Amino acid sequence: MIWMSKLLRIVHLFPELLNLYADQGNIAVLAKRAQARDCEVSVQRVKLGDSLDLENSDILVLGGGSDREQAVVAKELMRYRADLLTAIEAGLPVLAVCGGYQLLGHYYELPNHEKISGLGLLDFITKAGNKRLIGDIAISWLDEAGHDRGETIVGFENHGGRTIHSYPSLGRVLRGYGNNGDDQLEGLQYKGVVATYIHGPLLPKNPHLADDLLQKALRYRYGESFSWCSLDDQLAMRAHQFLLNRTLSR
Amino acid sequence: MFLLGRVTYLLLRLARKKGTSLPGLLMWRWRKTLLSEWLNQLEQLIVVTGTNGKTTTTALLYSMLHDQDQPWITNQGGANLVQGLMAALSRHANWRGVLRVRKAVFEIDEATFPLIMERVRPTLMVVTNIFRDQLDRYGEIDHALSMIQKGIALHEASQLLINADDPLTAFLGRNRSLTYAFSMDKEAIASMTMVDSSEVRDGSFCLVCGHELHYDGFIYSQIGYYRCLHCDFTHPDAEFIGSPRQDASLVVGELSGLPGEPSTLHVDLTGMYNAYNLLCAYSAARIVGASPRRIQEGLRRFVSPTGRMQTFVGKQQSEITLALIKNPTGANGVLRAVVEDVQTYAICLTINDQDADGRDVSWLWDVDFESFVTRSNIRRYYCAGERALDMALRLYYAGVREEAMVIVEDLTTLPAVLFTLGQKTYVLSTYTALHRLAEWFERESEKRGNDLDE
Ligand SMILES: [Zn+2]
Repeated sequence: MIWMSKLLRIVHLFPELLNLYADQGNIAVLAKRAQARDCEVSVQRVKLGDSLDLENSDILVLGGGSDREQAVVAKELMRYRADLLTAIEAGLPVLAVCGGYQLLGHYYELPNHEKISGLGLLDFITKAGNKRLIGDIAISWLDEAGHDRGETIVGFENHGGRTIHSYPSLGRVLRGYGNNGDDQLEGLQYKGVVATYIHGPLLPKNPHLADDLLQKALRYRYGESFSWCSLDDQLAMRAHQFLLNRTLSR
Repeated sequence: MFLLGRVTYLLLRLARKKGTSLPGLLMWRWRKTLLSEWLNQLEQLIVVTGTNGKTTTTALLYSMLHDQDQPWITNQGGANLVQGLMAALSRHANWRGVLRVRKAVFEIDEATFPLIMERVRPTLMVVTNIFRDQLDRYGEIDHALSMIQKGIALHEASQLLINADDPLTAFLGRNRSLTYAFSMDKEAIASMTMVDSSEVRDGSFCLVCGHELHYDGFIYSQIGYYRCLHCDFTHPDAEFIGSPRQDASLVVGELSGLPGEPSTLHVDLTGMYNAYNLLCAYSAARIVGASPRRIQEGLRRFVSPTGRMQTFVGKQQSEITLALIKNPTGANGVLRAVVEDVQTYAICLTINDQDADGRDVSWLWDVDFESFVTRSNIRRYYCAGERALDMALRLYYAGVREEAMVIVEDLTTLPAVLFTLGQKTYVLSTYTALHRLAEWFERESEKRGNDLDE
């Protein structure tokens, strides 16, 4: 296939509210890797009060914030709910981290049983646990059928919420807590959606996951897969390997 | 109550002598009682809290207030948790547990703040600022705010000093009597506003109504001249107004009604964040009754605490300046000072991720390395510490070429490497590597002194 310059539009949702774990790091990685494959990249920051143009969004990034901020975002995004549902069914890639992950579900239940409404885009809930689940985490990356892809994802997790869902998980926990600290599963994937508690931020040390999201975005926008050059990821993979070894040896 | 304190004190001394430790919980209870007893004896107490600049502000304030005739107690060097207070007080207590010095200025960690505030009657509470700090230690920014708010609410009859330029801190003084504020001059803020900066302004929301604040100028992070367009929350009028000058001095104007002439302050600290520390300390000293003259004299004796821009000179005109970094705001402040120093040849970033450093290194991505890389002429970037590779990756994404980076695998080799450059280097380090580095650099620069003697 002849490679032609493609436009890729990354939309960062409410960076002023949801940027607790440096999600602009994730954006920077997506943009840089797409540009290295001759894509033309635009990054749009949608702030509170701005309108979200889903027609012209190829990948959404939804980060985490404090409880107060997450409630504000849920309220704001509610008016796009129907369109978001349609777009997700059609394969719109969404990277949702920590609080952003929880927002995709029906609600987040606080210890006092108060419920912070989510968007209900996916069918799951999150409940606050007694202690926060904090530390380095390593998982083996699974495909949508639950098979091991032979690669790992590393990072840091820090969440009070316990999420249980029946979608395919992003990975199997090698060391750390994951979705709920119980079932050894971490994250969620559904069509173009990748949701996870892993930050650090997530993508710089996990370039393979970044490329997977980019492929999904191109497929969503242009309806086909692309073969493209691999990049020099020595530095990223050294950092990945260092953290993986250290996490597994603990 | 008192007797228990005395017994505890003797036990503590005994335990220290024998090098043994009493069972944890028992020890903790005793210590709490003893701490309360000591704190109760204080006649004047200033507490300094906030997320950044506590250590420097407290050190400055101490130097402004303390002398032979009127001694003060302080917890030097950032020992701001319960043990640090215990250690500071025990040095001034006699064998009966009676304090010989009854005035204290303490830096208090924001997470411990309410706990300590339950046990004291502060004369003055000082809040330097509230920035996003090490996230995994205490959770999120709202948490720091609520802890400080909780502590302050316990003492409506005490004076409060706030940073008017920080909306989060200013919120604490809203509709509160006995509250003073300090601020940088509005013109000065406007002239420093950088429009191209990609720094994250975490706290830039109106805490009253939740809308994003409007800024007429900002210095860094959420610090600036702000107002809410949706309610009446706005930058409060300040009693102490600072105007930074080119020569790193600070002119302070006062609307406090306190006696004394306006002052020009000079202290050997670089960076805008230090101008804030200086203004904050000055304002606090004035509120508790120090005259501008006394403050000037005290400042002359000021010695900068470890890691707040300490300089070491070595062989072949090698010069190393060491600074602590621990969160985006602090790091941005230090990086600005490095950019201003045009002789800088190299920078070394030493990043550890132990508990005291913050185990989550996400914050490196919130530091505005992009502006730094664009604006500075640095030739070489050294990355060291446990998370050297994360640091290198961060710099790579900020636009540093891999050829310009050196990853230092063994920290112990760093002093030798940097002191043979024959150049000026800044070393920015997180907490757990800081003191070791300071020690090594000190030794290396002493060696040089000996060479000259021979
Ligand atoms: Zn408002």
